[in-house]
Amino acid sequence: MLKFLKQVGDYTKEAIQAAQYIGQGLSVTFDHMQRRPITVQYPYEKLIPSERWRGRIHFEFDKCISCEVCVRVCPINLPVVDWEFNKETKKKKLNHYSIDFGVCIFCGNCVEYCPTNCLSMTEEYELSTYDRHELNFDNVALGRLPYKVTEDPMVEPLRELAYLPKGVLEPHGLPAGSRRAGKLPEELLEEMEASQ
Amino acid sequence: MNPGIDLQASFIQILVDLGLSAEVAKIIWMPIPMLLLLIGATLGVMVTTWLERKISAAAQQRIGPEFAGPLGMLIPIADALKLLVKEDIIPAKADGWLFTLGPALVTIPIFLSYLIVPFGQNLQITDLGVGIFLWISLSSIAPIGLLMAGYSSNNKYSLLGGLRAAAQSISYEIPLALSVLAIVMMSNSLSTVDIVQQQSGLGILSWNVWRQPIGFIIFWIAALAECERLPFDLPEAEEELVAGYQTEYAGIKFALFYLSSYVNLVLSALFVSVLYLGGWNFIVPVEWIANAIGVSETTPWLQVITGALGITMTVFKAYLLVFLAILIRWTVPRVRIDQLLDLGWKFLLPVSLVNLLLTAALKLTFPVAFGG
Repeated sequence: MLKFLKQVGDYTKEAIQAAQYIGQGLSVTFDHMQRRPITVQYPYEKLIPSERWRGRIHFEFDKCISCEVCVRVCPINLPVVDWEFNKETKKKKLNHYSIDFGVCIFCGNCVEYCPTNCLSMTEEYELSTYDRHELNFDNVALGRLPYKVTEDPMVEPLRELAYLPKGVLEPHGLPAGSRRAGKLPEELLEEMEASQ
Repeated sequence: MNPGIDLQASFIQILVDLGLSAEVAKIIWMPIPMLLLLIGATLGVMVTTWLERKISAAAQQRIGPEFAGPLGMLIPIADALKLLVKEDIIPAKADGWLFTLGPALVTIPIFLSYLIVPFGQNLQITDLGVGIFLWISLSSIAPIGLLMAGYSSNNKYSLLGGLRAAAQSISYEIPLALSVLAIVMMSNSLSTVDIVQQQSGLGILSWNVWRQPIGFIIFWIAALAECERLPFDLPEAEEELVAGYQTEYAGIKFALFYLSSYVNLVLSALFVSVLYLGGWNFIVPVEWIANAIGVSETTPWLQVITGALGITMTVFKAYLLVFLAILIRWTVPRVRIDQLLDLGWKFLLPVSLVNLLLTAALKLTFPVAFGG
């Protein structure tokens, strides 16, 4: 009899504990309801891409020496370098250059290895088109610079998590001039130069 | 107790005064509450789907529908239109008859159950003597429809979903019925109107929650399981069973399933408010307020206000419970099928039996407080 009573007691205890945990969980979800939505309302608000953002690649036609290093370091030999040898100047002459961003994986190897720095990453990420062939950028399209989010009057720029002040978790309604946690790269550079 | 407003009697009286016979007047009256029921239930579902979206969004720190009408309120209409104009597909190897019959068999009993939901003294379609029993028996027809839908789809996930739905409804029907039985024992009647009336003496203090706290919790858990709401939505688990018995359905038949699941949710919430939260009763009895300000209970304007307050209170309590159901949806993870059956048979069933016996004992010892 005592054993049975103990079992009943344990069972009740467990049930109460389970109810307690569910109540705890409910209070968490209920608390979330009064928090501000952290969603970024995309066409009207946009996140500012970080400075290391690997977006659409920018290409400077005049700097290119047609060495084809970008093709060799590319995982799938994607850049198309169309050049011909100019016998008079004994130099390669670049005719066309194109990268298909429908195929590119934005690994950034070409940018890393380009000897003349004629390739660079931009912060453009809005690469949606109705036809995938429109993503095959030629040297003119590659030479265009994207519109900056911070300068677009139609868009409210929002900072990413790493660029928010310490303890702040969402970018809406930040006071003007609030700076991010830690030191800025230029300040670090200054300190290093001062110590040397 | 004053009879309150009786819409049917006054409507028939008007027609008789216009020179019609009483039978014709009654026939003219009959389709009106039916139509009202269909419109009311559908509107309730629309509000519930909108609430579900908005509350889910809030619980996940999102905004939810925003651009379709003010606060996204036109979203349910967009939903309904989309589902109505979609192609009605019956899979080539499915059983056409059962496939079509399934959704209808799920939807009709749930709509029928609205017959006995009281929104006021006379504000219900029929005051059946077996009211709450009718609901319990009607709600056991739906799993047959689900099983039909699952079996006729000729799809293993649908079949699994249908079987799970049947197992789940059967095992949760019993604690549900037992907790209702305890209420019935206290109010000495199966009629929903009588059950509410028995709770109306002292305002909030006389509601059944205080006398049946265990029954209230069991009823709510079992009702959630009957509606296949999370955490008991495993017959239609999207991730494991690709929506279970709904897998092969599209267009208007899917819309019927969708509609019936939400109608069922609202219905269960309404029944919880009727059985446990005092139905149409305000926190303080309206008669007290009327007596306090010196107005007779039979004053027409007071009766109109009482009726409106009754409908508002019933719907308000029901939607409070719908809100709780949505909150539970984002709090509790889905249970496994064995956990579900364990909970049903090894926990809810014995506890509800004990609750029933306890109620009987209390009724014998304190007949004043427990409806002797």
